Amino acid sequence: MPLGKTALRVIPGAEAAEVESAEVGVESRSAGHRERIIDATLGCLARHGTAKTTVDDIARASGVSRATVYRVFPGGRDELLAAVVDTEMARLFSALGARLGAAEDLREALVVGIVEASTRIRGHRALAYLVEHEPGLVLGHLAFDESERLLTTASRFTAPFLARWMSPDEAGRVAEWATRIVLSYAIAPSARMDLTDGERAAHLVEAFMLPGISALHASGTTPTIDITPFESEHHPPTSGHTGHTDDTEHTDHTDQGDEP
Amino acid sequence: MDDTRQRILEATYACVARWGLAKTTIEDAAREAKVSRATVYRTFPGGRDELIDAVVAWATVEFFARLYERVHGAESLEEVMERGIMFAHRSIVEHEVLQRVMQTEPEKLLPALTVESNRIRLGIAEFLVPYLEQRGVAEGVDLLEAADFLARMVLSYMSSPGRWDLDDPAQVAQLVRSELLAGVVGPQPAGGFAPAGGADG
Repeated sequence: MPLGKTALRVIPGAEAAEVESAEVGVESRSAGHRERIIDATLGCLARHGTAKTTVDDIARASGVSRATVYRVFPGGRDELLAAVVDTEMARLFSALGARLGAAEDLREALVVGIVEASTRIRGHRALAYLVEHEPGLVLGHLAFDESERLLTTASRFTAPFLARWMSPDEAGRVAEWATRIVLSYAIAPSARMDLTDGERAAHLVEAFMLPGISALHASGTTPTIDITPFESEHHPPTSGHTGHTDDTEHTDHTDQGDEP
Repeated sequence: MDDTRQRILEATYACVARWGLAKTTIEDAAREAKVSRATVYRTFPGGRDELIDAVVAWATVEFFARLYERVHGAESLEEVMERGIMFAHRSIVEHEVLQRVMQTEPEKLLPALTVESNRIRLGIAEFLVPYLEQRGVAEGVDLLEAADFLARMVLSYMSSPGRWDLDDPAQVAQLVRSELLAGVVGPQPAGGFAPAGGADG
């Protein structure tokens, strides 16, 4: 099944093909079918887009019958395409969550998060085909109100990881900002700022984001934000930091090296 | 000839405002502009597709011409960004034709608008360069890279404000001085944090 393999290459780590449907119960068989059909659909989309992909194509590519496709997705093609989008978002967030959770400080979290998201978006073959051949479909999710929804979803998911180093409100703003950055450079790639490259992403984070976060803190309405690494949370970064709402004199929290 | 082109574009825009993108035909545009079909085809040899792309480009240029007019004469980089973001945001929200077409036929508008947005991004970056030169960029920051970054952020916020209330001058000032400029221009000069929202008049 070449199409199945293609789909698996779209998302490294997808395990649909490893589910042996004959040896598992009805429920997980259905879950296995679901994932297998979704991956096969991704393969079809990467080759033909949505306009030329039929339920028959998908059934053939996933090695199940048409009836099975409709049993798992009673809404047919539309429900299936919506499920593909949801699944791909969930996979992206799950990979992002693993990266963000393992990061040891804010700088690292921002860099690995931006690189992971940018790399997955760039390497997504189905997405690339659709951007090229059915731009209206993809762009509909990236402009104006739809873009608001995407920003909200992405920042809601990533903000809790950043809240280890700042207040929830701050984390929400920074997560949304990082999402904007990833989307902008993904939609319109820049030769000088390739965010799939760790060094370039680190430069962007250090040059633009960390000073911005400090300034956000200094000017913000939320008094408690500490962007020093997690380990040093128990040592206030500067004396007099606690209890003051006017923090304008403590704008250099990014200096993480010179603590007692 | 330029007059004819301008007249056809304005007429087509009026048709799109009334009927939407999909239902606007060459005949409609010709009738509205009071020219013949042949004249429309002579001016836009690519026919309807070329005409629609040209109208999106024309409306975009109009939009940014007004925006440039609005920020022209601002005295600092901060003021340019604040005025620009507030005006652009309000203009988009109040842009009836844009809003209607985005509601009813986004898939027809967005590809053309995306082509435009690349041009717009370059335009905004180019516009900001002299302000950045005057203000000076932070150490280790490349001027063109900074201008491109700012243009991207301006485009992102003006179309999708997210958590920011872009009608509130204090929030816009905070946004501009944190996420947009803090890293680009380096530390603020002493006493530099004050909203410049009341400066347009």
